[in-house]
Amino acid sequence: MSTETIAADSASQAAPLVEMNDISIAFGGIRAVDHASIDLYPGEVVGLLGHNGAGKSTLIKVLSGAYKRDSGTIRIDGRDAEISNPRDAKAFGIETIYQTLALADNVDAAANLYLGRELRTRWGTLDDIAMEAECRKVMGRLNPNFRRFKEPVKSLSGGQRQSVAIARAIHFNARILIMDEPTAALGPQETAQVGELIKQLKAQGIGIFLISHDIHDVFDLADRVTVMKNGRVVGTARVGDVTKDEVLGMIILGKCPPGAIPGPGAIKS
Amino acid sequence: MTEQSNTGGPAASNEGLLTRLIRAAEIDTRMLGMLAAMLVIWVGFDIISSILRPGGGGLFGGSFLTSRNLWILLVQTSVIAVMTTGMVLVIVLRQIDLSVGSMLSIVAVATGVLQVFELGPMLGVGHPAIWIIAVLFAIVLGAAIGAFNGVLIAYGQIPSFIVTLGGLIAFSGAAFLIASGVTVAPMDKTFKLIGGNGPAASIGPVWSWALAAVACIGIGLAVVAGRRRRLTFNFKPKPVWAEILSVVVGCAAVLGTTAVVNSYLYPPRVAERFALDNKIPIPPGVENKAGQAICQAADKVVSCLDGLTFQTGYPIPVLIMLAVGLVMTFVARRTRFGRYVFATGGNPEAAELAGVNTKRLTVMVFTLMGALVGISAIIASARLDAATTALGTLNELYVIAAAVIGGTSLAGGIGTIFGAILGALLMQSLQSGMALLNVDSAYTNIVVGVVLVFAVFVDQIYRRRVK
Amino acid sequence: MKFKILTLLAGAVLISASSTAVMAAGKTIAVSWKTFQEERWKTDEAAIKKVVEAAGDTYLSTDAQGSAQKQAADIESLISQKPDVILVVAYDSDAILPSIQKISDAGIKSIAYDVQFEDPNALYITFDNVGVGRIMAEETLKVKPEGRYAFIKGDKGDPNATFLFQGMQEVLKDALASGKVTNVCETFTDGWKPDNAQKNMEQCLTSTNNGVDAVLSENDGMASGVVAALDAQGMAGSVPVTGQDGDLAAINRVALGTQLVSIWKNSIDLGTTAANAAIALADGTDPTAIPGVAKFSGGKNGVEMNAILLAPTPITKDNIQVAIDAGHITKEQACAGVAAGTVTACN
Repeated sequence: MSTETIAADSASQAAPLVEMNDISIAFGGIRAVDHASIDLYPGEVVGLLGHNGAGKSTLIKVLSGAYKRDSGTIRIDGRDAEISNPRDAKAFGIETIYQTLALADNVDAAANLYLGRELRTRWGTLDDIAMEAECRKVMGRLNPNFRRFKEPVKSLSGGQRQSVAIARAIHFNARILIMDEPTAALGPQETAQVGELIKQLKAQGIGIFLISHDIHDVFDLADRVTVMKNGRVVGTARVGDVTKDEVLGMIILGKCPPGAIPGPGAIKS
Repeated sequence: MTEQSNTGGPAASNEGLLTRLIRAAEIDTRMLGMLAAMLVIWVGFDIISSILRPGGGGLFGGSFLTSRNLWILLVQTSVIAVMTTGMVLVIVLRQIDLSVGSMLSIVAVATGVLQVFELGPMLGVGHPAIWIIAVLFAIVLGAAIGAFNGVLIAYGQIPSFIVTLGGLIAFSGAAFLIASGVTVAPMDKTFKLIGGNGPAASIGPVWSWALAAVACIGIGLAVVAGRRRRLTFNFKPKPVWAEILSVVVGCAAVLGTTAVVNSYLYPPRVAERFALDNKIPIPPGVENKAGQAICQAADKVVSCLDGLTFQTGYPIPVLIMLAVGLVMTFVARRTRFGRYVFATGGNPEAAELAGVNTKRLTVMVFTLMGALVGISAIIASARLDAATTALGTLNELYVIAAAVIGGTSLAGGIGTIFGAILGALLMQSLQSGMALLNVDSAYTNIVVGVVLVFAVFVDQIYRRRVK
Repeated sequence: MKFKILTLLAGAVLISASSTAVMAAGKTIAVSWKTFQEERWKTDEAAIKKVVEAAGDTYLSTDAQGSAQKQAADIESLISQKPDVILVVAYDSDAILPSIQKISDAGIKSIAYDVQFEDPNALYITFDNVGVGRIMAEETLKVKPEGRYAFIKGDKGDPNATFLFQGMQEVLKDALASGKVTNVCETFTDGWKPDNAQKNMEQCLTSTNNGVDAVLSENDGMASGVVAALDAQGMAGSVPVTGQDGDLAAINRVALGTQLVSIWKNSIDLGTTAANAAIALADGTDPTAIPGVAKFSGGKNGVEMNAILLAPTPITKDNIQVAIDAGHITKEQACAGVAAGTVTACN
């Protein structure tokens, strides 16, 4: 998967990178996601908003392979994609930064960076030195102050752990990046760093789903927002076509403003 | 105790010299502590035994720090040590295997029945293929039982505590049925050598020194290769003195151990038989009961100070233990499989999300554990020259205790193979030392139990400080 | 100690008791086994069952699987089935006493089978364990009247380990007092385990610098560990080793010369005697009127009880034929690896 296949400048001209259509998933009778549809174009950031429990994390875990959907289709580059576990998702260039960080606490940064995709020497053994060297390069870009390459990530700060998680997501030529509350554990300075990073990645043509409940963050970074409530999509809008107050109305009341395309979750007025 | 303040960044300036040395050389201080504890125990036993029964010939006049006792100690440790290397991976993966003792019984008895009741009559007693078939059978059977446990745990979603507790109860019953409770003996003559008894069961001084030399060169090459590789990637290498120190210490340990096992001489009667069998002339001499050599005095062979001696060298079970330790260390630290075991133990969800097939990993770890139990069953039955249901009873507890004393955390994710082998050696040192002093086994059990709890206690304090 | 060794042949007991047994048809004889995890108990069970069923009585049994708690529950369930006699192979000779009391309270007779519990109402049937220890010491003294002896005792929680040692001490008393025999090592062995015995023997040899002339091991399993330890020092065969149980591997060692003697307690004799005694008790016979019964008070609390103590058979190189003839072991098993002309039974 090389970056050449990605339309570099415009987000709208190419076929959608991801189309999730009519996705439903239920856990023991509770419909966590109910006929939700969402799409993403190359070089675009789509903010996914909603209260805790609105179904946004669940919907996105269907894309990353952590959950298996009950119904609906996923298309990547216009072709049907079968995603039933994290390995399938990675094969499509989908990388995820989880809210819970999902790092193996007891091994070091390089081991986490390469977990599941270790570099090996010609004898098939782990090439720790090469992995550490690569890790130093990547981390040098993301977090130039990072020095603690020999320590288990358990002993790192929240920001340092986040940069390891991000490094892991972007290092393998991801085309679709899912960021679940990427700044939740960070201070203001580190949050700004992540914002810069998102802009960088966007410029490279990577499509990003940004899940957050901080509406200001999303307005700063996203091209479009999709709002979910009670497992259903309330509506989708370009950031320029709606105000923050209107989006808050979508989140809280489920009311779809004129500037947005309504979804099945919008209340009829 | 030096103040530890390594909360980040380069070494703080208020650290003592020793702390800085240890850090620069990347020495595991925990392991250092264990070695020190072992040394104290060894010296203590030697001194106490010198008081109770003087003239043991040990370093401090007792009978513990003699080449003979240390040689036997290594052999006695091998059965538990081999299994504990597998238990480290099982525990690191946040699982437990309580069935290893019963599994050892069933494998030992089945292998005994195979070679004594089946292969013996079929191929003829002493046929050279018997021991090979028996060894392969034991390892395969162990691996199969381990895989069975693993499948129930990974795919049946039954907690390993329950699956292996069931195994602990069920396998010993099965072991009993296989031989209808009969002690199966004697083992095949070649098979028996794996237990370490008799002159042919050790590799002799020449091969022992050769092996030591190879090991020393290996350590040197590994250090040089590691250093060169770090330099290729422009990493700051360890200081040269630290590299040299690790080669010197590693080599000294290898050569020292080799010197000890080589200085254990054939017992007089074994030497006599060996000399007769190989037509080696026995020199004349004067009888001296304290001597370790043999001499011809008139018409009989006697012990004497200055006569014919043979050095034993490394016994086969100890070589197996060392080989298993090396291979398992390699597997744990240098292979993808090992990396996945540690990562999964640290955070199973993260490993699963990173694409690790944790179910298959669990089956593989339990299969490996089973194969190692198979190896231990071979050593145990070869050493006893008999296979009985009683072999292996309670071994699960010693195996788990050795791993834990050696620094394996029951919370998962943390443990080393070398530490666990040291743990096994430490526990066996306590048991053998107290047996040497003729202490009632009830007291030995108390001491071993206390040491187990104390080791974990010290470990907790250590980890909190390092953090 | 007041006890008498029964020197009657088991066959005689069988004949005299089975004539009374005919009248007892329709009775129920129950057995609470402590475990079936050892080689021998199945043989005992077969012998008891055979006699009980031949007499037209019913045989009931439970297996405590090596647990004192389970055995207590087993006995309660047996009592509820109202048998006439319960034979108990106690797992723990003290913990069993309340259960024995319940048996008496229910008006059922109890027999302590092989393992003693000190209840004056029970009949104790066993091989003479002190006698086994005595035979071990006697056989060893015959070949090594002077020398350094090592004692590898059984599990310290088992009263038999101490009975056996008492018997040895009785025989060796004079030799020990005169200094002809010295005690150089003496250890209990956890769980009677062979590998523990091997380690204990290795440490004994190390601490005495191989200064051991004879080893009194209290059973055959441990003897296998002792012989392996001696073999490593080239001493197997020249140092006599004792054992008991008549393990097949041990009889083979006796033929090979690495073990001096295995005291064989023919479980068939014990089972048959106990079954006949049980039938007699069920029939209302007074315990003292049963053939072979004598008073015994050699337990650790000295409680006097009625007991039948059977004499065991020492198997040495000279009489291996006895075990072969009894169908206990085949000639091939006994003589595997034995050099021609060294043992008469193997020729």
